[in-house]
Amino acid sequence: MPDTLFRSTNGLPGLGALGADDISAMSQSAGEPGWLTEQRLAAWTFFAQALPPVWRRTDLTQLQPETIAPLSGIQGTSILADDAVTRQGVVMMPLLAATKSHEALVRQYLGKAIDPMSHKFSALRAALWQDGMLLYVPRGVEVAAPLRVTYQLADGSRAIFPYSLVILEAHAQLNLIEEYTSPDLDQPALAGPTTEIFVGPGSHIRYASVQTWGQGIHHLGSQMIVLDRDAAGEWVSLSLGGKVQHIEAESRMQGDGSAINWLGATFANQQQHLLTAPWLRHIGSNTNSLMDFKTVVSGEGYSVFDGMIKIEHESRATSTRLEEHAIHLTPKARSDSIPGLKIDTNDVAKAGHASTSGQIEDEHLFYMQSRGMSQEEARRLIVMGFFDPALQALPADDLRERLTALIEAKI
Amino acid sequence: MSNDLIIKQLRVRIGEKEILKGVDLTVQQGTIHAIMGPNGSGKSTLAYSIAGHPGYEVTDGEIWYKGQNVLELDVDERSKLGLFLAFQYPVSIPGLTVNNFLRSAINAHRAEEGKDPKETAMSVAEFRKLLREHMRQLEMSEDFARRYLNDGFSGGEKKRLEILQMAMLKPSMAVMDETDSGLDIDALKIVANGVNALMNPGMGVLVITHYQRLLNYIKPDVVSIMMEGRVVRSGGPELALALEEKGYDWIREEVTTHA
Ligand SMILES: Nc1ncnc2c1ncn2[C@@H]1O[C@H](COP(=O)(O)OP(=O)(O)OP(=O)(O)O)[C@@H](O)[C@H]1O
Ligand SMILES: [Mg+2]
Repeated sequence: MPDTLFRSTNGLPGLGALGADDISAMSQSAGEPGWLTEQRLAAWTFFAQALPPVWRRTDLTQLQPETIAPLSGIQGTSILADDAVTRQGVVMMPLLAATKSHEALVRQYLGKAIDPMSHKFSALRAALWQDGMLLYVPRGVEVAAPLRVTYQLADGSRAIFPYSLVILEAHAQLNLIEEYTSPDLDQPALAGPTTEIFVGPGSHIRYASVQTWGQGIHHLGSQMIVLDRDAAGEWVSLSLGGKVQHIEAESRMQGDGSAINWLGATFANQQQHLLTAPWLRHIGSNTNSLMDFKTVVSGEGYSVFDGMIKIEHESRATSTRLEEHAIHLTPKARSDSIPGLKIDTNDVAKAGHASTSGQIEDEHLFYMQSRGMSQEEARRLIVMGFFDPALQALPADDLRERLTALIEAKI
Repeated sequence: MSNDLIIKQLRVRIGEKEILKGVDLTVQQGTIHAIMGPNGSGKSTLAYSIAGHPGYEVTDGEIWYKGQNVLELDVDERSKLGLFLAFQYPVSIPGLTVNNFLRSAINAHRAEEGKDPKETAMSVAEFRKLLREHMRQLEMSEDFARRYLNDGFSGGEKKRLEILQMAMLKPSMAVMDETDSGLDIDALKIVANGVNALMNPGMGVLVITHYQRLLNYIKPDVVSIMMEGRVVRSGGPELALALEEKGYDWIREEVTTHA
């Protein structure tokens, strides 16, 4: 498996000094197609004019965008493809290059799930993305072993806007791991990733998105899986790193009979603020969803679960369940849970949610200590057990081991 | 140094309420000691107090085992001293597999101060072999080990798992709180056989039960009766048979007349 790492060294001025001219000059000098230059310019104009979104639970006061310089060119994308699958017609390559080699495909899908004009930061991402990946799986092709893309940031005072565009034609199968990693940075940095995944009729995706940034990073990202008729997804979201995280995520069950099974694990310690806003949007009929998110907070960590089940007017016989549970390890740690349910149809098969938060139960600790374990060991086992469903759902042993170690270090 | 469990004038409160009002009890090494008594008489409170439940406040009295003042020991230290409690209501912990739970418990017992836990830990192969043996003896199917601890277990399965833990940890003094409740007659025999197989001259067992039927299989040397926070009567196995026949009223009357 060849590891392709693309790097160059040129950067852009800080966000404060950047203008529309820079955007179009950069796009043109890179030889990008005209429609893309126009898209970037429109997004930049929107960004420059829009007020920041009102995010009551995401504190952006420590982010100083004017001092942060976006990366230019592909600098932090690491794609681990597999020769065998490329021979089956799977395309896995930097998105920037794909805008030329697979222009029609990219043009057809780019920005079609996540509207660049949703708010100021989505527009910023659409204007400035350089790192990124196109992953295309042709009809009927089944990729069982996980394909991996990793986005890295090496330095502070930088911004990276990685863009993953993933397309599965009909009756295809894909197993994808997407990671965000960096060392601890002493200067604030910005990550603005976008992931759009289109799952064709009867196709199946396993998708693990794993955020393990080092300290100092603000992560303002957006992810969406769009499921066509009878398509199914298994999604695991892990949020462990960074300073501030605001992830808008959506499973959109567009086609009849589509389904999602979504597991999440978030651990905020020290002064981390980690927010995830996962949406289950039911549009097709006979669609099924299951969400199970786990949150652990310790130190002065703060975590927000802003989940939503949205059942649209045209959907019939939806079945959905949302669960979110939080454990507080220290008195100063906080978590908010705001699960919502909006139903615009009167034909629902099942809809429910459950949410709990609290400390580890004394009775659990007592039971374990009565078997000889120390209190620390008991707490460790309970937290690891809490995250077990998400960890077990990861498709690669090395990743599971790395994340297990990372979580243990945070306990 | 005595390997008897010695309880003297134990007084225990939960919140404001005094539950144990001066319990005297000795479980001799090598013997099986049964405790019977009406609901609410304080049997589980006694069991929890021996194990060191933080919600039970000991206001007076002593517990001694192996020359140690048990009341000064943390919960995990009591376990390592050889004390074991089979819970009346075991807790379930979703996410934690029986396998991982048992391995951590065993390795906690094997850990030695100043040594790397990795050095003293039982090898995975040895652990698996031991687990398989004991599960076979308790007629538990092997997939129990991969399930989450007591999560969705039936009442009887939970009780069996308590005995599996006891078999794996090999305590020298086991308190079994109503391990027979929830067991069907076949399971009762299996569990009793499991306990009898563990019994040895160095071991003591305190078995709390309401029913003679358990005592047909786990034969007690001594039977004590608890009422209203005290041990009011001790005798031989015939005491349990008398209770089965006559209920508690005659003892209650005797106790009040003597008081
Ligand atoms: N957490 C608690 N708070 C207040 N009272 C309690 C608590 N736990 C137990 N008690 C009380 O203590 C008394 C003794 O309870 P305990 O569970 O020890 O009885 P028991 O003899 O084990 O009864 P059973 O045969 O029903 O198991 C009861 O009156 C019970 O209501
Ligand atoms: Mg009881």
